[in-house]
Amino acid sequence: MTTPAVQHAIDAAFREEWGRILATLIRRTGDWDLAEECAQDAFTEALRRWPVDGVPQRPGAWLTTVAANRAIDRLRRGARGVELLEQVGRDPTGTPRTTMDSHESDTDQGGGIEDDRLRLIFTCCHPALSLEGRVALTLRSLAGLTTAEIAHAFLVPEATMAKRLTRTKEKIAAAGIPYRVPPAHLLPERTAGVLAVLYLMFNEGYSASAGDQLIRAPLCSEAIRLARLLAALMPDEPEALGLLALMLLQHSRRDARLDASGDIVTLEEQDRSRWDLEEIDEARALLRGALRRRAPGPYQLQAAIAACHAEAPEPAATDWPQIAALYEVLLRLTPSPVVRLNRAVALAMAEDLDAGLALVDELAEQRALSDYHLVEATRADLHRRRGDRAAAIAAYRRALDAARTEPERRFILRRLAEQNDRP
Amino acid sequence: MNYVLFVWADGIPAPEAMEVMQRDLPAWIQEMDSRGVRLFGRELDLPETAATVRVRDGETLVSDGPFAETKEFVAGIDLFDCADLDEAIDVAAKTPVARFHPLEIRPVMSMALGERTSAFGRGDDSAGKPYLLAMWVGGAPAATFDERAVGQEGETWRADLEARGLHVMGARLQDANTATTLRVRDGDTLLSDGPGVETEGFIGGIDVVSCTDREQAIELAASHPVAGYHAIEVRPFWSE
Repeated sequence: MTTPAVQHAIDAAFREEWGRILATLIRRTGDWDLAEECAQDAFTEALRRWPVDGVPQRPGAWLTTVAANRAIDRLRRGARGVELLEQVGRDPTGTPRTTMDSHESDTDQGGGIEDDRLRLIFTCCHPALSLEGRVALTLRSLAGLTTAEIAHAFLVPEATMAKRLTRTKEKIAAAGIPYRVPPAHLLPERTAGVLAVLYLMFNEGYSASAGDQLIRAPLCSEAIRLARLLAALMPDEPEALGLLALMLLQHSRRDARLDASGDIVTLEEQDRSRWDLEEIDEARALLRGALRRRAPGPYQLQAAIAACHAEAPEPAATDWPQIAALYEVLLRLTPSPVVRLNRAVALAMAEDLDAGLALVDELAEQRALSDYHLVEATRADLHRRRGDRAAAIAAYRRALDAARTEPERRFILRRLAEQNDRP
Repeated sequence: MNYVLFVWADGIPAPEAMEVMQRDLPAWIQEMDSRGVRLFGRELDLPETAATVRVRDGETLVSDGPFAETKEFVAGIDLFDCADLDEAIDVAAKTPVARFHPLEIRPVMSMALGERTSAFGRGDDSAGKPYLLAMWVGGAPAATFDERAVGQEGETWRADLEARGLHVMGARLQDANTATTLRVRDGDTLLSDGPGVETEGFIGGIDVVSCTDREQAIELAASHPVAGYHAIEVRPFWSE
């Protein structure tokens, strides 16, 4: 019988080892489906044996060996077995050996052997794959989510997700997408691509509507777990640290950002005692480590901005001049209307409401933002702060016309009511 | 691995684009030839020179114009021999054509290069005028068919043409799901999953034949087994 302790050991091993085992098997067999089946078999075998034999001292090594032996068995029976068998039995340094106990030789710290999971991440996030395929395959392969779990999180039928995963794997094989960490000249671009996939995954969970929050929240925790893995595998990449810090800072506010009815609560109005201090502290430490490398990037800058908010015990204590300066740098790296809008707000809050408002007016005139209601809502907010009620109401009305979702509309209506109620 | 590159166009290039391509193409060709990654590349004649051939109930049906009813058309074809998709992307991104046209990279399933391939690649058409036969598949076939049997008939067709000295090269391609489309904008390489243009079917294979005239090319297309189930677009390559 499976005791809770054994079940716990198996669950823990699954979370810790799934990606590693799969990544190694894919490298050695070149066959994603075979690798997946054998990794699954190894866990089934653990479920059978561990309750009887006890949990092995090194569960990862045990599982890897079982999965590898299973791969050898299957290949022996298969038609193209012999040639592949040779690859399976060979370790990455070219020394033949009897078992595939890669767990010991392929550990990521030092040793000069790249972690297979890094190869797996870069392959899953290859830019020639569809974006939705990249996200799904990363969740399946690295995080070990089942097809049903991924389908659930993306609110699509399981058959749709299964097809998406199959198609993505087929393209990797048929189009000759290499299973590797990209060479130096491609690395910066491809790393940015991996970070974008993880951040997209996080945002899918984070920006879910109130009704879908519970269903989609796992996407946030999986994205954080994967960002943590990536940061560990690429310790010299400050943007990986920056992304992890950014996710943690956003995640730290998860309990305060929606009210009881599921409506969005602005940063200013959030109950800061409900922020997760542990996550904030971890993020700040990560960010310090990243910034020390003096290679700023968009994720580090966004994290630094989020940290400015996190460090303020109350809204009035926010270091707006610092935030405005950070947006200035971010704007140079990633010039976009949203960044310009945020910089205008920071400037308004830092020193000069009128100057900030002038910048927002400029953006409104250019109609550069597709999310036009944001510009009008921001404009209204600045008028409100200046005490110009009539102008604020007019702008909120324009924002209301441009709002596209129900929560946006409710938020603006609430603001509008506040203005109208004022004496 | 081998990859076929389809150059998609939606008209005759603007004079400035033409100038840049003519200026920069020779250096690209030289670099890729010396790397050994480019097997050949040729421009096609304009789509109005095309004929689309079907055989139904034993009768050859020829319609003027290309198969796809889109504004976009395939304007040229290159064949690469690369280590993997990353190398194919690198090679494609470096051509000046990528700055002006979407390039579709499609993996080759199997191919046959003949004695005439290299002369064709050099633009030496003294043996006969080269025509592209593009097998448009993907939609519903006219009748159910045994893919394996048709594949074998295709091999026989090819062998027969080779014996008659009419075959230049042929390639069966992986399906459109495996395509990657590449564009270069402001120096950045942009990739997308899937074919360069959404069309009703997709090109499942190509053959290049060397003919005396268009009639012969159409006749050869009609004798290909795929013409009985799908459609074959016949188009001359551009020659000076």
